Amino acid sequence: MNQKQRQTILIVDDTQMNRSILADILEDKYDIIEAEDGLEAVAILQKQWSSISMLLLDLYMPKMNGYEVLEVMNNNRWIETIPVIIISSENKLERIHQAYDLGVTDFLSRPFDDKIVRRRVFNTMLLYAKQKDLETLATEQIYEKEQRSSLMVDILSHIVEFRNGESGLHVLNVRTVTELLLNALTRKTDRYQLSQADISLISTASALHDIGKIAIDDKILNKPGRLTEEEFAIMKTHSSVGAQMLEQLPIHQGEPLIKVAYDICRWHHERYDGRGYPDGLTGDDIPISAQVVAMADVYDALTSKRVYKPPFPPQKAIEMILRGECGTFNPLLLDCLQENALNIAKALQASGEVQTKEKSLQNIVREMSQHYELNASNRTLQLLEHERMKYSFFAAMSQEIQFEYTLSPDMLSLNSWGAERLGMDEIIMDPLHNKKVRGHLGEEEWEKLTQLIHAAGPESPISKYECKLFFGGELRWYRITCQSIWSNEDEREYMGVIGKAVDIHSSRTDRENLERMASYDMLTDLLNAASAKKQIEERLRSGSDSQFAMAIFDLDHFKSANDTYGHIFGNRVLAHVAERLRSSVRGGDIAARIGGDEFLIFLEYTHDLEPIIQRIFSSLSGEDYRGFPISASMGVARAEAVGCEYGALFQAADQALYAVKQGGRGHYRFYDSSMASLAVPEREQIVSDNEIVMEEGE
Amino acid sequence: MTLQECYAALGGDYADVATRMPRESMIQKFVLRFLSDGSYDLLCRSLEAGNYEDAFRAAHSIKGVCQNLSFTTLQKSSGELTEALRNGWTPEAEGLIQQVKADYQQVVAAIQAFQKEVMG
Repeated sequence: MNQKQRQTILIVDDTQMNRSILADILEDKYDIIEAEDGLEAVAILQKQWSSISMLLLDLYMPKMNGYEVLEVMNNNRWIETIPVIIISSENKLERIHQAYDLGVTDFLSRPFDDKIVRRRVFNTMLLYAKQKDLETLATEQIYEKEQRSSLMVDILSHIVEFRNGESGLHVLNVRTVTELLLNALTRKTDRYQLSQADISLISTASALHDIGKIAIDDKILNKPGRLTEEEFAIMKTHSSVGAQMLEQLPIHQGEPLIKVAYDICRWHHERYDGRGYPDGLTGDDIPISAQVVAMADVYDALTSKRVYKPPFPPQKAIEMILRGECGTFNPLLLDCLQENALNIAKALQASGEVQTKEKSLQNIVREMSQHYELNASNRTLQLLEHERMKYSFFAAMSQEIQFEYTLSPDMLSLNSWGAERLGMDEIIMDPLHNKKVRGHLGEEEWEKLTQLIHAAGPESPISKYECKLFFGGELRWYRITCQSIWSNEDEREYMGVIGKAVDIHSSRTDRENLERMASYDMLTDLLNAASAKKQIEERLRSGSDSQFAMAIFDLDHFKSANDTYGHIFGNRVLAHVAERLRSSVRGGDIAARIGGDEFLIFLEYTHDLEPIIQRIFSSLSGEDYRGFPISASMGVARAEAVGCEYGALFQAADQALYAVKQGGRGHYRFYDSSMASLAVPEREQIVSDNEIVMEEGE
Repeated sequence: MTLQECYAALGGDYADVATRMPRESMIQKFVLRFLSDGSYDLLCRSLEAGNYEDAFRAAHSIKGVCQNLSFTTLQKSSGELTEALRNGWTPEAEGLIQQVKADYQQVVAAIQAFQKEVMG
């Protein structure tokens, strides 16, 4: 076990005390994360399951109980790598059995004993670590072995192709199609009892289907014109010759790969109706491996260019096969072919694109040998697969055009959603000279964007650009955000760019601006009266457990500031006060400017209101702003005194404020019933206030 | 009042908890924290609201905490209440609720007295 890295234990229990006791016992040896119900536990697992080494799980919790957590862990197969110890005082046997059935490793019964908890947790960790090590070791050895044999098979089949003068892709394509068809077949029927290992074996062996051609005379093999009947008869011997070669191998007889390759070599030209060669087998007398490879062979021959024919499009090839123009096949396989037409075409296209980079055999060899160094542990592969799945999901959901451009190879790739939207292929070679690519952006925009990307140096590689893109017959505004990629060497070299383009055409941003303008006071950026009222009413309706209060204050002698120093100065004073207010209210409080120099604060509190008011009030007043002494008068009303209604609160606070003013300003007062009869003078209309501010335009 | 005396007053088994938890300070910490555990509140509220599923869970939690702290008396009554509520309301529950309430009050009173002395 790794000594340096501490393992992480997730404790899930709704009783805080139980979590703390366990955390206390375990925290000197392990990192602890706590979750207070099943839902939170699942959220944590979702985010970081691979870094969690163990779960201590309670069974009875609100929102999601322990059994449900176990089910989620089973569905996601987390249970295979994360041991779970149940920490419940459950003593009903059937409920305990149920937990074991869901993959639980152990039970820790209460009361928790310091030593027993430590020991059980440690033992389980040890057990899992050993098992995981062994598993990883075994996987890696098998993986390595498979890679080696598949490398040899590749070399061998490449030699055959080399002699055939075929594209170099045929063997790869046959393997790809074979694998896809076999997977489809196992989903459809269990008639052939194919395991994943079988499928992988058959796919590997498929590469050898034409090795017999090595014994065929060059002149016949590479004859450009049509073969004579005699020549064709010789040509046909390649299937039995290939089988013979395998049969006569001096070593490795009995290896499954050899056995499967033999079947494929000998019978990949048989026909389901019995009219094939060399043996004229019928139906399922032909091994399923040979049936599938035969179909893959025909499909790739049709869709590839040959000396005597152009490539047929995938759909046409499939139609020809379905109509029986290229032999007869197992009806089940015909179904598989038809149903997976799109997948097959895509897979071959992808391998074709890889090949356009003219991979020589050395390249393949190098790439293959690099695979040995891959630490292909189960978990890594799972993680990669998970990341890949996540990426393609989000790419599809985000409704963004995502792109990656690399200088070498000179290639642009798009996410599938983006490609579809733009009506382009997902991979485009030499995009800078591609009319379609350039057509989406005018020449001028293209230049600007290019400059921007090149100018975004290694230190700040991210650039944003808004422009109109043209496609589907219309111009739409897009925001392009991208990151230029620079090499890691000393001499930083531009290598390409990744990024995304988001449609910002809809007036969404405009609308947001308008909405914001409508609910905020422009001068102070506090809420305005109308939206404060709306929010407060919502808050009052929510009926939370805490108590409410409203405070209204204005600035003493503000009018004289306006008169003496002018409106612009007055505005600055207001902005200054708003800033003080903003920094003194608490997160949940609502602060608003409701009139010329009048402000409102709405507060929720649980215990004592006075200290809160005291603090806010004293932070507002007592200082001066560039010579103008700031002093405030404030009236406060408690909901418990006047009721949970906006109007009543407002009136009471206003009356308290009025009482303060009559009593000489500069302090605050809480509303009491003695003020009820005070007649507050009508306030100034403040609706036009924003307009005044705008006119004066600071 | 010592922690041992507190245990005697609340109907707990100090010798038992001391074998399981390595330090007295740790026991004391969790005993004092018992006062802020919300399970009893939840129990009372859910019984009042007739929500017996939550009541079951709350009783179960109290029992678990008591097991951990060796609060034997309350553990026994809350354990019995747990069983009485496992499949919803049963007539036995009524008497057991009263028992749990009485036992809980006894525990709280003892801990509060102990707390007063510790805190000074």
